[in-house]
Amino acid sequence: MLGGPELNPTAIQVLQVLTIVVFAPLVSGVIAHIEARLQGRRGPRVLQPYYDLAKLFRKETLVPEDAGWVFVLGPVVAFVCYLTVPMLIPVLTAYPLPLGYMGDILGGGFILALAGFSVALAAAETDAPYAQLGSSRAMTFGALIEPSILFITFTVALVTATDLPYFEAAAARASLGDVLRPAHLLAALAFFLVVLNDTGRIPVETHASTLELGMIDEARTLEHSGPLLALLRWGAAMKQLVLYVILINVFAAPWGLAGTRSAGAVLVAIPIFLGKAVGVGTLFAVIDNSFSKLRLFKITEFMAAAFLLAVLAVLVLFLGGG
Amino acid sequence: MHGATLVATAVPSPYAATADALAVLVLLSEFGMLRAPLSRSQVRLYSFQSLVVTGLAAFVAADRHIPGLYAIAGISLVLKVVVIPAIVLRLLRDARVELVPSHRLGVASMVLLALVAAAFGIFVIGSMSVRSRSLPAPALGLAAAAILVSFLLVILRSDVVSQAIGFFSLENGVSVASLVVAAGLPLIVEVAFFFDLLVAVVVFGVLMRVHHERTRTLSTTVLDRLRG
Amino acid sequence: MAWDLMTLLVAPFVASVTCWWAPVVVGRAVSVAAGLLAFVLAVLLIPSGQAAALGGWVRVDPLSVVFLVAVAFLYLATMVFAVGYVRPAGDPDVAARYNRRLFAGLNLFCWAMVVAPLMSSLALLWVAIEVTTVISALLVAIDDTARATEAAWKYVLIASMGLGIALFATIVVYYAGSTVLGNGYELFVPQLLAHARAFPPQMVRLAFVLAVLGFGTKVGFVPVHTWLPDAHSEAPTPVSALLSGALLAVSFYAVLRYFQVAVRTVGGTFPRDVLLAFGIASLALAAFTLSAQRDLKRLLAYSSVEHMGILAIGMSFAAPIAVVGVLLQVLAHAAAKGTAFFGAGSVVRKFGTKDMARIRGGIGALPWSGPLFVLAVLALSAMPPFGIFRSEFLIVEGGLSDPHDAVVAILVVLVLLAFAGLSWFSTRIMMSPSTGPAAVARGEPSAWIVGAMLIGVVALVVLGVHPPGQLSDLLTRAAAELGVPR
Repeated sequence: MLGGPELNPTAIQVLQVLTIVVFAPLVSGVIAHIEARLQGRRGPRVLQPYYDLAKLFRKETLVPEDAGWVFVLGPVVAFVCYLTVPMLIPVLTAYPLPLGYMGDILGGGFILALAGFSVALAAAETDAPYAQLGSSRAMTFGALIEPSILFITFTVALVTATDLPYFEAAAARASLGDVLRPAHLLAALAFFLVVLNDTGRIPVETHASTLELGMIDEARTLEHSGPLLALLRWGAAMKQLVLYVILINVFAAPWGLAGTRSAGAVLVAIPIFLGKAVGVGTLFAVIDNSFSKLRLFKITEFMAAAFLLAVLAVLVLFLGGG
Repeated sequence: MHGATLVATAVPSPYAATADALAVLVLLSEFGMLRAPLSRSQVRLYSFQSLVVTGLAAFVAADRHIPGLYAIAGISLVLKVVVIPAIVLRLLRDARVELVPSHRLGVASMVLLALVAAAFGIFVIGSMSVRSRSLPAPALGLAAAAILVSFLLVILRSDVVSQAIGFFSLENGVSVASLVVAAGLPLIVEVAFFFDLLVAVVVFGVLMRVHHERTRTLSTTVLDRLRG
Repeated sequence: MAWDLMTLLVAPFVASVTCWWAPVVVGRAVSVAAGLLAFVLAVLLIPSGQAAALGGWVRVDPLSVVFLVAVAFLYLATMVFAVGYVRPAGDPDVAARYNRRLFAGLNLFCWAMVVAPLMSSLALLWVAIEVTTVISALLVAIDDTARATEAAWKYVLIASMGLGIALFATIVVYYAGSTVLGNGYELFVPQLLAHARAFPPQMVRLAFVLAVLGFGTKVGFVPVHTWLPDAHSEAPTPVSALLSGALLAVSFYAVLRYFQVAVRTVGGTFPRDVLLAFGIASLALAAFTLSAQRDLKRLLAYSSVEHMGILAIGMSFAAPIAVVGVLLQVLAHAAAKGTAFFGAGSVVRKFGTKDMARIRGGIGALPWSGPLFVLAVLALSAMPPFGIFRSEFLIVEGGLSDPHDAVVAILVVLVLLAFAGLSWFSTRIMMSPSTGPAAVARGEPSAWIVGAMLIGVVALVVLGVHPPGQLSDLLTRAAAELGVPR
């Protein structure tokens, strides 16, 4: 056990949120760098996202003529949502922190959905066709992926008898059988596909594309500028990191979290977590480079695959041994 | 208010969990065959599925000390992982057909339909109490699900390769089932099963070839002369 | 060592190999000889009804002897017919190769069907039946026409999928048995029957349903009968006769073995209800589709579906006399359907078409096989004095004594409907005067065909008028093995 003074749980909770807020652009930058290397380019500096954000915050805000207050409020609401979710999930600690139980997996899902909804609404406020296209597509595919998320939640509930992310992670840590059990593996795989979809990765979307016709998530921010765009970009990076947290610390590798409240343990957990996040990000970058994007109308096949995995997880649990 | 309390499902042993995960892999590769657009990838998936079944047999043999199963795993490795896929791939090479459009439904609808079939199989087997010394009972339900999905593969894909692969993979599903409930089946009987599979494969191969020579296609949509 | 069983196990196979290598004439002689040998050996088994060899792996009891006799009889009759059945003229080399293949295949097919009832282990029974599928699929395709290829593909695919289900049934019944007999037993029928009372009932129910569905695919139970009309109509006629008369019966034999186990474990009600459902469905569909047929061989194929339905309904009656009727019907149907197909083959050869709209005046054109064909069709329609009349009479009698009056009423109505469809078409093509310029010359294609048909009609009359005492005795004993009071 690492030493150091005992930290106040509230302080650790604040640290969790700060970890996400501060390091999200860094993780995005590192992944973008690795991705460029995989493609044989030198790539941007890893700190580039911070420079971008700083630049955007300095610029003026342009609001389209017909857009109302929703256009301005949308990005802010989304950002606040992304600030809330890290409190509910095990970012740094293996034990729950204050306010950690104020929402379960469904609660976290709702808050993330609210964020997506407000961004889509803000985009729909404008008269710009691509922004509206993006928001309608994002909501459509969001609705299609929703059943998979529900069945993943059921799986967690059947495995742990709760619907709290901390417990699923604890169950996986507790025994080897729980990691190897097909329900766990299937749910993890299904969630992996959900993350692929929600972070706008291939095969659903080409995240670095400038081609508007193929865009889904990216198209929504086309009309925003200045600090609002900065908030949206930052929020997107945080959302990505939050989803990585759930994937890593709940399903795939819930090891290396702080077990005690000592400052040493908690502080060491930060680089370990960042390392795992970059690892997952690298995996996504490799997938990005190895597969091609699905045609828009074929994306339902991808959704069907995620749904299949999630439902199978519940079905094998029904059989009693999954 | 007396609601039913949710109870956490029992944690399986690492042995049972691994075995179940392998059985899930068999089922998933069945789904893969159902949706795979290329005949060649279907054959590869079949080969992979057979490899998993072989691995499962060896796993049971090692863990439960049933030496006869090693022999079965060996035959299965040669026959189902290597020989059968080679025969079908050779046919595909000779036929020079890359892509046979043969989905009768959209991929998403096919997967959902197959999911319903799989759930049916799992529920039917789940409603019976099966006790097995060799493998955990859930593997039997998964095997039944794989069998039902293989039926859908035959029904929903209209080309000879899919249909033949559907039959071969049906046999894989039954193999998993037999590992669960009949691991002690006499060796001579198992060998007879394999011999039989080999004969069936040869006949399927001959008929596929005849079909291709006659119609210049691997699709079965032209097979609509006989009615009534 | 029981030499008769060993000979049955080996002789047809040897005959097949001989046909493949030897000149056509030798192959024909060997085939007929092998058929005769098999039939004589099967008949010699009737009095004892019991024999075993090879450490119990090969074994017959009265039930299997009944099916063995049916198969062996049709083996002999079909081989006689096949000698007269020649492919339409062509290159002599091609014709010789075709003949060699056909005879080798027929012998191999018969070998698998003779072996199936000899197998004591349910697992090897499954293997034998799967072998019959693959061999007969090749035989269906042997004419190498587009239609034959299509029929063969559908047949091998659907039948194999069905047998996949049957294999699953085998595994499940093995599991049910292993709860009592422990692991590593051989699935011998006597073992299973001796301990069936203690098997887990749910597993046996599952196994039985799977077996009826799986083997039922090859029996031709509706709704898994779809391959049957295609394969029967497109195969060469000797193959059609064997498919219909022998193969369906052998598959039904497998169903009966599972029935035997099931009635001991779960009692008679459940297995009988399952068979009743499949039986009514088959009989009803066949009765209504018979009158919509245009193709002569398809007409006979649907008649097979009808008869398999009657067999299943007969098994659903608890009275032993109904079971005797069912077993008698197996024998009589083999003779009648074989003869009818031989006749159809003769007609098709004569008129060059299977389309019944274009066949007229059969009796006039075919002085011998024409009337014999009419007799065979009348026998199929259960007219006295032929065997099927007696067997269906016994089934109805059993149904009335069960009592199962409603089912009997449905049975009788549907059989009459089938009778109407079958006899309307066949009498029209045979009796109505030939029209148009396409009048054909009077004369038989081959004396062998007439000979084969005569064998069949004689057998039908014997079974109908007065079955030999030892045969009746055998049927009664076999029925006693099957029957368990409700």
